Amino acid sequence: MTATATRPSPPSPRRGTRRRRRAGARRTREMWLLMLPALVPVALFSVGPLLYGIGLAFTDARNTRNHETSFVGLQNLTDLLSDGDFWSSFRIGMIWAFSVTALQFAAALGLALLLNQDLRFRGVARVLAVVPWAMPPVVIGLMWRLVYHPDAGILNSVLGTHVNWLADFSLALPAIIVVGVWTGMPQTTVVLLAGLQGVPKELYEAVEVDGASPWRRFWHITLPQLRPVIVAITSLDFVWNINQFGLVYVLTQGGPGGQTRLPMLFAYEEAFRYRFAGYASMLGVAMAIVVLAVLGLYLWRQMRETR
Amino acid sequence: MRIKSALAAAAVLALAAACGSGGGGGQSSSSSSSAPGEAVKLNFLSLAWQKESVAANKQIVDDWNKANPGIQVTYVQGSWDNVNDQLVTQFAGGTAPDVIHNESPALSGFAADGYLLDLTGKLPAELKSDIPQPAWDTVTFDDGKGGNGVYGVPFLQESQVIIANKKLLDASGVRVPTPDNPWTWDEFSEAAKKMTAKRPIVTSSSGSGTETGQGYGVAWAMKSPVNKTLNLALNFGGTFFQTGADGKTTVKVGPEEREVLQRIHDQLYKDKSADPAALGQGTADPLPAFFQDKFAMLPAGVYLRQQVAEQAPKGFEWVTLPAPKGTTAEQGAVSQTLSIAQDSKHPDEAMKFIAYFLNGENQAKLAKGDWLLPTSQKAAADPSITGKENGWDVATASAKNLVVAPFLKVKGFDEWKSKVATPVLQEYYANKISIDDVAKRLVEDGNKVLERYQR
Repeated sequence: MTATATRPSPPSPRRGTRRRRRAGARRTREMWLLMLPALVPVALFSVGPLLYGIGLAFTDARNTRNHETSFVGLQNLTDLLSDGDFWSSFRIGMIWAFSVTALQFAAALGLALLLNQDLRFRGVARVLAVVPWAMPPVVIGLMWRLVYHPDAGILNSVLGTHVNWLADFSLALPAIIVVGVWTGMPQTTVVLLAGLQGVPKELYEAVEVDGASPWRRFWHITLPQLRPVIVAITSLDFVWNINQFGLVYVLTQGGPGGQTRLPMLFAYEEAFRYRFAGYASMLGVAMAIVVLAVLGLYLWRQMRETR
Repeated sequence: MRIKSALAAAAVLALAAACGSGGGGGQSSSSSSSAPGEAVKLNFLSLAWQKESVAANKQIVDDWNKANPGIQVTYVQGSWDNVNDQLVTQFAGGTAPDVIHNESPALSGFAADGYLLDLTGKLPAELKSDIPQPAWDTVTFDDGKGGNGVYGVPFLQESQVIIANKKLLDASGVRVPTPDNPWTWDEFSEAAKKMTAKRPIVTSSSGSGTETGQGYGVAWAMKSPVNKTLNLALNFGGTFFQTGADGKTTVKVGPEEREVLQRIHDQLYKDKSADPAALGQGTADPLPAFFQDKFAMLPAGVYLRQQVAEQAPKGFEWVTLPAPKGTTAEQGAVSQTLSIAQDSKHPDEAMKFIAYFLNGENQAKLAKGDWLLPTSQKAAADPSITGKENGWDVATASAKNLVVAPFLKVKGFDEWKSKVATPVLQEYYANKISIDDVAKRLVEDGNKVLERYQR
């Protein structure tokens, strides 16, 4: 692309249009040729499976050996919309995704501001803050299961209580939300910290001369300057959180009584436990649409406000 | 930047959606094919988990491998927690083990889906006659094409018994039930009431310190209430499922089904003879409280005797009592099974291995290792599992009350159990809903679930 951009402009306007058209066609061809190596894996490993999954959503496919799959149109969608379990799972998924994202953001912002100060052992503290990032979700799940263990758990022995956190109908969801926040904090903190370091020092110096309080400095300089970073990281966090699977699967497997059955766990159960592959695909498609809608709305509003 | 991240988000989601869906029907081989003269290799997925049982399983596999150089079996360790998820993916991907250990409730789904081999014509006569017909009934299922087939060899069965604290039982002065003359449910509730009192509760693990506290007659560990409730419900003829003239199966909760539900609920909330702390616990969790004399009787599967025998503090005496009887002493039976994958390349060799693995002598070893009841008649006569020690006599005698659990053949039972019955029964035993709500939800929500499987 850069090579073609430096081509000298044609001298004559009439001959030029034809030549330019031809050059444009060749340029497009070259572009496709150069992009091909990158496009093949994308088509093979993302677009292909994606289209296959969307296709499955309109069939009655089952994970069985002797089932004739046939096209059923929107049957799966109508079933889904009238499925009470789906709606309760959807509600739980939304509570989970919104609260984890919000709490993650609040906690990570606090931590990032702290780590941005000139503290002693700042390097060590920064390293410690990203430790949860280095752990796979399954390990985090196992670790927190020990923390919440009704008899041998640290939490119960510290609080002096005897609560079965992960098996209690009303406590299970808050308990896993805490784990979700803990898990997602490092990447949010790192991104916000990077954003904080990009805020020009002159702005702070200027308001300091004007005698602004720390709170006003934060409100009128730090937050507006961080805005693009905040929008990016909260949207990504939201997507990550609503698609969370491994962590919750290890912690509760969706129990007790479906109180922590996030949409992805629900889809997994439908596909691999009850073997309704078509129905589960429709669930995946529906969740994708919902997330895109929520994100679209959020990003659109944010962009309009910035403009 | 923002649009890019939105696009990235879309891609991530799309991928996740695509990953959520699996294809159907893998056909590839499950074990590597072998040239003539080379040893046939079989994978054996075992779910044994108790130490003695794992040892017994491995021992039998070793013995087989030594005696049969032509058919080499690899022991693969699985777990009851996720075996069915694992099998669904392995079957779909064509990598399932040749010989599969599972339990009969799981087989009906796999059989109807065509993943398991119908063993009808392959069973050696000796094996077939050694295991009585009622046990074979627990593994005979609809093949998904209108016929019936045998999809596993049943080998270990579980029955419910009552494990009791001998000291408290004797002190209460109630009649001690025997396999020939068990308690009725009325007598059982009466006995539980008699054993409910303020009494010294052991506070230290050494058993020396005590303090006075509320003692209970019985403890119901109802974290997973469905199978236990359904199996006991047969005492009063409660089947929970009925099949109409049109062949459709529906849920039913009538007076027969309500009996056991109501009686357990009464012990908890009317008689207050059942320890409320045990309610949310898994079967083995109440044991520490049992050893502290907090409650006197623990209704449980026969296998729990193993943990009682192993964990009981010195000097703690316990006995095994037969389960109470209602209008009958019948209990629903499920069996542990060995099946062969439809896609196995060496089904005949796999059958030979199963026939050896489950002969009378080996079944006795397995039963002893898992503290369960063997289906083999030869094994059941083995002196090591009929003696008085550790309640084996009562446990083995209870085998005669086992009948096929009616829910075994219900398509969609697994989904009914986890989506409807488990939360409903948990809420009922926690006294959050009435028995009429239970009946309503089990039937209405349950029929909706079953509907999906009968289209």
